[in-house]
Amino acid sequence: MKILRKDKLDGVFEKIRANGFDIFAPVENEGNSRYAKIERADEISFDMILPKGTLKEIFFPRSECLLRYKIAKRKVDVEEADTPNDKRVIFGVRPCDAAGVGIDDAVFSWDYRDDSWFARRNNTIVISIACVKSDDFCMCTSVGSSPDDKRASDVMLYPLADESGWSIEEITDKGREIISSVNDLIEEAASEVALAELASVPVRFEIDKVTSWLNNRENFDSKFWDEISQRCIGCGVCTYLCPTCHCFDIQDEGDVYSGVRRRNWDSCSFALFTLHTSGHNPRATQASRWRQRIMHKFNYYPEKFNLISCTGCGRCTRYCPVDMGITETLERINMFEQ
Amino acid sequence: MMQSSELTTKAKEYLRIAKVDLVIGYLEGTTKDRRRAGFIRSAEEADNLVLDERCEDNLAVYLVKENLLARYKKVAIFLNPAGIRTINVLASEEQIEADKIVILGFEITGGDVRILDGESVDDFSELIAQLKLKAFDSEQMADVDEIDSLDVDKRFEYWRGEFSKCIKCYACRQACPMCYCNRCIVECNQPQWICRSAHTLGNFEWNIVRAFHLAGRCVGCGNCERACPVDIPLMKINRKLGKEVLDRFDYFVGSSKDQQAVLTSFKQDDPQEFIL
Amino acid sequence: MADNFEPRIIAFVCNYCTYAGADLAGTSRLKYPANVRIVRLPCTGRISPLFLLKALQKGADGILVSGCHPGDCHFISGNYHARRRWSIFRTLLDFLGIPKERIWFSWVSASEGRKFADLITEFTENIKQLGPFTQYDKLIKEMSE
Repeated sequence: MKILRKDKLDGVFEKIRANGFDIFAPVENEGNSRYAKIERADEISFDMILPKGTLKEIFFPRSECLLRYKIAKRKVDVEEADTPNDKRVIFGVRPCDAAGVGIDDAVFSWDYRDDSWFARRNNTIVISIACVKSDDFCMCTSVGSSPDDKRASDVMLYPLADESGWSIEEITDKGREIISSVNDLIEEAASEVALAELASVPVRFEIDKVTSWLNNRENFDSKFWDEISQRCIGCGVCTYLCPTCHCFDIQDEGDVYSGVRRRNWDSCSFALFTLHTSGHNPRATQASRWRQRIMHKFNYYPEKFNLISCTGCGRCTRYCPVDMGITETLERINMFEQ
Repeated sequence: MMQSSELTTKAKEYLRIAKVDLVIGYLEGTTKDRRRAGFIRSAEEADNLVLDERCEDNLAVYLVKENLLARYKKVAIFLNPAGIRTINVLASEEQIEADKIVILGFEITGGDVRILDGESVDDFSELIAQLKLKAFDSEQMADVDEIDSLDVDKRFEYWRGEFSKCIKCYACRQACPMCYCNRCIVECNQPQWICRSAHTLGNFEWNIVRAFHLAGRCVGCGNCERACPVDIPLMKINRKLGKEVLDRFDYFVGSSKDQQAVLTSFKQDDPQEFIL
Repeated sequence: MADNFEPRIIAFVCNYCTYAGADLAGTSRLKYPANVRIVRLPCTGRISPLFLLKALQKGADGILVSGCHPGDCHFISGNYHARRRWSIFRTLLDFLGIPKERIWFSWVSASEGRKFADLITEFTENIKQLGPFTQYDKLIKEMSE
């Protein structure tokens, strides 16, 4: 049993950094929290349930440059943005966040292979810590995930009962490599060491029941959608703080002389998302937009990739300004007679 | 809480006698300390209404969403004083007909709920006049003054830090009852005045435009700041401009439904000490 | 500050007064610094704050906004409306840390060619003293990253 002690963290980070990696970890900064670059282990916030920002930001930033252009007399110069090549270790990832990235791998390698996503994926090592705490909004166990979901994690750390460190489970070759590179700072426990109990997250609905209701085309026009989304104000909080939401918009910023083409997050909650040039909007109401969000995650995505596009992190409910969220919608569906 | 139940009972009665066909009020939320907007159409459902010190959101934002008022004859709505002033602003900007609204007024002071007398927006003129007298006092402006006391470079750095957090989810805009434009300026790209992207410059520009568009229109309900997922202190900017229009133009937003917006009106002797 | 710094100044002016004033400065052979780029608009009422933001985004070091004196507006009240708008906008920018010294407002009539030339000279000198507007530099760079 391999053990990583908390007091060895700075040493571990130093070694990893010497191999050309930047270290990222969940940090809290004046009410805002996200996976951000750190220098020292004491910057890491271990106490929060989840940071507000998700792991997807590391691979799919909220705004990124795709190309730059310059227009001179009868000549257009286009310079593509460099493929990202920063080597990163993300330490202390929540398993639901890592799983979200694993889920998104499917869409980013589907009809088009997204170079910048996979360049970052290949250069990044994800070290997750299994959850021992949860709150009222966590629902990973309801959507087939768990406090130690291993998807897209290279290493999973299990907290020790005495809180002095973690037991190490190497999942991928990348994970084994990084652990062996810091081997002299890792303890080999002779006997079994007591592990902390993982968070017990209640199952809030039967996912099969929910997906089969959604799969029934008659329910597409159910009055339920209007009712459940009445108070939705159409902002992008749930989508932008979702570990799997991956929709984007491409925007040119510049003028007739030069500019940049950028990829920015976009959200199906916005009316503009589906607005046609003609002025027609196929998703004219907020109800139809909320339905799209639920259907995409629990019907279309499973149909296409055999994956539920939700890891149960609960951020959509936790941060919703009007107290909506996926959990309540699915709980309500769960209560319907089939 | 005897008093607050009086108001929910009133809402129920209005539905029973069909004085209104919709009540927008507060319901219990996902957790104990959360309250949420509820759309109540029958007297039976009205039993679920709650009113306590956690009912902070300005529900008037729903009056301008998806043409809600067109679907109902008369709507009763729970509003605090900022919400009542919202009705004045929206009526003066011809977004709603004030006589379709029945106000269920309340005020939260120090954790207690006080019921306000009146039901049409004009009934609250005296209350609003009183609010004007104590608006933007030094206590309310302490955090604004703190920023004002910094050097200009420090101020810029402060806001650069705050705006760099912005993810452009537009929760501030969507939660704001005054942001009812069908097409927001940030979404216009012919020409594209301000950057759409959530890089810091784009965020800076967005927040300047948002604040300016609300200058002399913001009633200070705080919906934007509560909605912001990354805790940008938007109310500091809104209060700064609110005080500015009050000091310079003796203009208190939402004083009456006939009040003309401060930036679409003028006086010949408006101050102009900064113009050379 | 580098001695050879030549500021970029954008002047948003109304057609009927300040532009005519600038024209008079020209025909009267009054000299003023060539740092200013004049953008002519129908009225100060047409000068949207968005123009000022665009100028800053595109690297202006100073901005002048100028129109008809109160009572002289060709459209009767455009400048009165503009005056209110400017005073709030200026407060906002200042609060957010964009220095007031970089954005000047003035009334220059069609007969005030001398005032226009003097104003531009004085403004240019002031901006030279202040140096380039660098606060946005980092942000502009980030735009293409």
